[in-house]
Amino acid sequence: MKRFATIFAIIAILATLHSLVNQAGANNPNADTVTVAQNSQQNTDSGDEEVSASVFQGLKKFWMYSGFKNAKIGHIIMIIVGLIFIFLAIKYDYEPLLLVPIGTGILIGNIPFVTLEIGKTMGLFAPDATSGLKLGLYEQGSVLNYLYYGVSQGIYPPLIFLGIGAMTDFSALISNPKLLLLGAAAQLGIFATFMGALLLGFLPSEAGAIGIIGGADGPTAIFISSKLAPHLIGPIAIAAYSYMALVPVIQPPIMRLLTTRKQRLIRMRPSRAVSKTEKILFPIIGLLLTTFIAPSALPLLGMLFFGNILKESTVTNRLAETARTSLIDIVTILLGVTVGASTQADVFLTSQSILIFVLGAISFMVATAGGLLFAHFMNLFLRKENKINPLIGAAGVSAVPDSARVAQMMGLKEDPSNHLLMHAMAPNVAGVIGSAVAAGILLSFLL
Amino acid sequence: MIINNIHIDSAAVDSEALIVTVVGYAVVFAALILLFVAFFSMPKILNLKFKRKGKSQIAMEASPVVEMSGEVNAAISMALHLYFNQYHDEESSAMTIKRESRLYSPWSSKIYQVRNQFNRI
Repeated sequence: MKRFATIFAIIAILATLHSLVNQAGANNPNADTVTVAQNSQQNTDSGDEEVSASVFQGLKKFWMYSGFKNAKIGHIIMIIVGLIFIFLAIKYDYEPLLLVPIGTGILIGNIPFVTLEIGKTMGLFAPDATSGLKLGLYEQGSVLNYLYYGVSQGIYPPLIFLGIGAMTDFSALISNPKLLLLGAAAQLGIFATFMGALLLGFLPSEAGAIGIIGGADGPTAIFISSKLAPHLIGPIAIAAYSYMALVPVIQPPIMRLLTTRKQRLIRMRPSRAVSKTEKILFPIIGLLLTTFIAPSALPLLGMLFFGNILKESTVTNRLAETARTSLIDIVTILLGVTVGASTQADVFLTSQSILIFVLGAISFMVATAGGLLFAHFMNLFLRKENKINPLIGAAGVSAVPDSARVAQMMGLKEDPSNHLLMHAMAPNVAGVIGSAVAAGILLSFLL
Repeated sequence: MIINNIHIDSAAVDSEALIVTVVGYAVVFAALILLFVAFFSMPKILNLKFKRKGKSQIAMEASPVVEMSGEVNAAISMALHLYFNQYHDEESSAMTIKRESRLYSPWSSKIYQVRNQFNRI
């Protein structure tokens, strides 16, 4: 690399010196050139001038194409945002598998270059040109555009759901099925945000897509926004994934606010062992019940339960292994980098995006509160030995497994021997099902 | 500047929006309540099936079915795992040398020495 830089620098210096020497030569012809006939000297001078002019033109053109010439303040802001994402992922371990690809995608998407319109105005492209350099994500025919096709057409999210299904153990939910209701209650965030977005002047379809941020489920948010509001995919996806990463920051204050210490100390009965038959029946019954109720959620729920059948049947271990490792990794890479790259400053930095971010934060808070309050409500009807620790209600938002981890962490803070993780996983995975059902309902109402 | 641009339009929340919200939330609950009902009754249905099977079998063992919690299962699994995989960690750390007294060994045999050929000369 050092050698390459040195060679490149040397060539640049030589080229500069050559043009300078030519200019000097043109101004002060030396003794040798005096002896040459006047006619030929004029030809040489004009040739040198042409060379230096063409070099200058070449450099100018290079400068016009460079990122430095085309950079705007928006690009710089977005590059800083991308760097912050990468920093948060590496330094604080906030969802690194998502934030590193998204952060890098933001950098890729915000490298300034000559677009077709700018190129035409600057005279770099012909006035009748129909395609530019085919570099940007939104330029037809570019590599990034092809990769983004999976996002814009809602192809990646069901594949992600397949992987999630193949890696999720629903045992906690099967052993204590009443916790499913917490996953339903936490979907309050989706519908509250839908109303909020309508109040702020968004169209109903846009409001539905924004509302799904409250489901705390990135793939669902992308899937719905690709159908209801394709122009808002970037801000919605970034908001959803950012707040999912910030679950350990957003949820604890609300959890403390809505619970007393005594409630946080509640010990839950250990879960019973779940038979293999129950584990196999869960995805089959779940698939049939939920998709009959909300067929619009079929791509998501179908793949989720399909992945789980692969896992629980135990006869398709190879397929389950691929779905939960290689496949989901590949799709996460493509999804992350293209969603990040979709945040081009000129498309992303709008007042609408800011509003979406505000609404997203509110939706997460409402969803958390919804789960917590419903746990209190359920406790009113449960016997003392069956009481639910309300902290696990917050795990009803489907940020798997972060919100369950937050419930565990909060429980351990109050009582270091009270492990809530497995209990919290039940509403957590119920939240995944609940948000997918909610997405299906919004699709059928608003599409 | 952005705050100035925010306009709250209460007229946008019409009856249709309210229907979407209320019906949507209700349907989410309904779907998960159905799943709850299905899996709440699942152990009973499965037990019923097994009980019928049991009645048909005359010689059924009288031992009661002990339902073990996940924590107990985890503890047993951990103990088995340690037993099968990590018991060698409990070996004595004292190192000893076992004396081998053999009259003949190819290691000490003169006929296998490297320089044997020179000796022949």
